[in-house]
Amino acid sequence: MSPSSSRIRNIFEPLEPSYVADLWNSRFGISLSVFLGYLFFRKAQSVWAVNDNCLPRISYEAIGMRIMNLKDRPWKPTTSALQVFGRHATKNVIHLDSINAMIFLEGKTLVIESNCEPGYVVVFYRGEVLGCGLYSHGKLVSQIPKERRMASVVENGACEDQ
Amino acid sequence: MDPLQRYREIIPNFDQFQRVQSLPLPPTARINTLKMDEPRLLERLDEEGIGYKTFSWYPLGLKLDVESPGKLLENLLGYIHIQEELSMVPPLVLGPRPGERVLDLCASPGSKTCQISQMMENKGLIIANEPSLARVTPLRSNCERLGVMNVAITRYDGRNFPNVPFDRVLVDAPCSSEGRERKGPGVMARSNCKRSLDLQALQIDLLKNALRLARSGGVVVYSTCTYAPEENELVVESVLDRARLEKISIPGLKDCPGITDWNGVHLDDDLQLSSRYYPHLNNTGGFYVAKLVKN
Ligand SMILES: C[S@@+](CC[C@H](N)C(=O)[O-])C[C@H]1O[C@@H](n2cnc3c(N)ncnc32)[C@H](O)[C@@H]1O
Repeated sequence: MSPSSSRIRNIFEPLEPSYVADLWNSRFGISLSVFLGYLFFRKAQSVWAVNDNCLPRISYEAIGMRIMNLKDRPWKPTTSALQVFGRHATKNVIHLDSINAMIFLEGKTLVIESNCEPGYVVVFYRGEVLGCGLYSHGKLVSQIPKERRMASVVENGACEDQ
Repeated sequence: MDPLQRYREIIPNFDQFQRVQSLPLPPTARINTLKMDEPRLLERLDEEGIGYKTFSWYPLGLKLDVESPGKLLENLLGYIHIQEELSMVPPLVLGPRPGERVLDLCASPGSKTCQISQMMENKGLIIANEPSLARVTPLRSNCERLGVMNVAITRYDGRNFPNVPFDRVLVDAPCSSEGRERKGPGVMARSNCKRSLDLQALQIDLLKNALRLARSGGVVVYSTCTYAPEENELVVESVLDRARLEKISIPGLKDCPGITDWNGVHLDDDLQLSSRYYPHLNNTGGFYVAKLVKN
């Protein structure tokens, strides 16, 4: 394993599962055992996870799910990955009420008090993971990808009026 | 002239077929059991007052009574996937099991890939192949939204997919899409026998390669959403020297047997074992499905 060479060569390189599990454990308190049964790969700045299986030696466009981005500090989990692993989180989670959940799903920023450490958090609603948020100084910025956002009722209404 | 007229002889109750063909399709969705089980999902829909009806032939298929099903929270969170009713047939015929290795040779946008994944309970490996770079994007985003962890994506021309053995292969071939006419106009305008013959060469090569890649005794399913025999029975007939057809039976879903006579030519009798699905039989689109077992 050599994270630096994959960054340059733009190919999928195997990653130690413990490398990934440790990062998720220290940020979200997710038990290391949650990551058993998966293989991890790094390509450029992205980390991918796939069900543990013998992969034929052919050329891949994607291997499993893109679960995190290492480009910036801190590293960023994808919303898809949080929807798979996030329910095991024991810290840096925020639970929303129904009004705030809808605003979050529209991709907007919420003003909210939380004792989370600044950085990426798992956002829940009614016990289900909605996705990734960025928390700092009483603000929660939705990281829901564009194509998975709810259409904003208010905004659309305003446009139609004009 | 209506390009469908050439099917007057093979489609039963042709006038009724033509009438239904011009009616819009009801929106349908599949429950994604990778993220949500069926009772919980139905409970949510009930709570939110969303009307639905479960398919008679598949408990995970739903007819939805909403205008934009794609905007439902359940869809955005990946609890359901908007998918045409008959598009759920080929994975069931393929019958993948957890732990197997499966190839989806023509995969984007991945509706069937993801259904196969849930049938395999996210275990084993599916290779979803799609040569078009632009079409890899929706394939990836559907897999990710639906929580699929056992799919790897490749971009080979399916005719040259490298020699790796598979338990099962799905060939959901590029076709003239006549069975999708109810989704919107425009499909038919491009449809004719010449176009079907052009596609046939590609379809035969894809199916032949799929059979090369399947292990002996492995299952290969060939499907299209078109009525043209040139793209269906005539394609399957070309591989009957290396595989045998198996009858498809899906209780609750009406089908017609594959045809054995076309344009005055008699085709292999075994082609009756393949299935044709017409819009007026189940109020759906149109599909053709053949299940082959490699010798
Ligand atoms: C009918 S669509 C597949 C639908 C998909 N199976 C689903 O259920 O969502 C056919 C696909 O085959 C792809 N295709 C076209 N030429 C191909 C080739 N030579 N090899 C493999 N796939 C090809 C097309 O780009 C298209 O995405």
